Amino acid sequence: MADISLGPGAEEVPLAGMLAEMLKANLEKPEKKRDFEKLKAKVLIHAVDAEAKITMDFDRGRLTVYGGEAGKPDIAIATDSTTLLELANLKIKYGMPWYFDETGLGVVRKLLKGDLKIKGMFTHLGALTRLTKIMSLS
Amino acid sequence: MASLTYGTEEWEKAYLELVKERQATQSKPYIMGTPEWVAQYEELVQNDAEYKEAAKDWEGSVVIKILAKPEIGLDSDLYMFMDLWHGDCRYIRLVPPEVGESGDYVITGEYERWKSVMAKELDTVKAMMQGKLKLKGDLPSIVRAVKAASRLVDLSASTEPRFPDELSPEEIEGLRKLLQEAKEKFGI
Repeated sequence: MADISLGPGAEEVPLAGMLAEMLKANLEKPEKKRDFEKLKAKVLIHAVDAEAKITMDFDRGRLTVYGGEAGKPDIAIATDSTTLLELANLKIKYGMPWYFDETGLGVVRKLLKGDLKIKGMFTHLGALTRLTKIMSLS
Repeated sequence: MASLTYGTEEWEKAYLELVKERQATQSKPYIMGTPEWVAQYEELVQNDAEYKEAAKDWEGSVVIKILAKPEIGLDSDLYMFMDLWHGDCRYIRLVPPEVGESGDYVITGEYERWKSVMAKELDTVKAMMQGKLKLKGDLPSIVRAVKAASRLVDLSASTEPRFPDELSPEEIEGLRKLLQEAKEKFGI
């Protein structure tokens, strides 16, 4: 069982529990667990339409999910709630997120249109790739 | 104790007769939560190509649970059970609570939340992230089928129902009586 816990403020933001639950299920897969154990990054997720913010603090095999902003994030993702869940539907091919199918192209389009904003995309590319692989349901 | 047992041929036959009778005597738009409205929704889902495509990998039943609100005629929680399988909608029925609770995915919310969803004022995913709707069931499976779920919601909105809180006092009493009789006969 992956070491995932809810930190201060998480109880007040249902999104925190949802993502924690999803990750727990995902991390039962060994290949995702390996990425989880290597990932060290603070990720802010903002579901803009739901006015919900959480911070996921990954610390090499441990994750604490906080409600709201908790410290300076390395990566900040802001989008609407449906797109946020669609990110979990990105396929992983050859060990990398796959952007060349319908779901992947949809994500790219939203990035280009500004409907999906990711800060730290280039400065923390490795961490973002690991995060995407961990979050992906494929 | 209901006079008919859910899951029997007798129950199903009597339920469909009730729907037929109500469709013949009630005019559209139907009132949300009534058997005739549920049947209208079922027909829309069964004939929707977009839903079929989006839900081609979906397996399992989805239950919409509307929490009781006696002042608008909903004396008990209402369970709308959708039997969905690989893009097909086998049926949608109002069902007894114990059947509803046993659904693979149960989405629960106050009447006002469901009204907002069906009036397209509230997005289901957003509502879940805000805790306005609560999901019981495997979250990753729902996330995989997020497009199918959105389509189901769109279709419920396109029934353009009459909402119980907008009915006259006499109509509310009529709804209460209908649901009371349905409870006695069908256990719903």
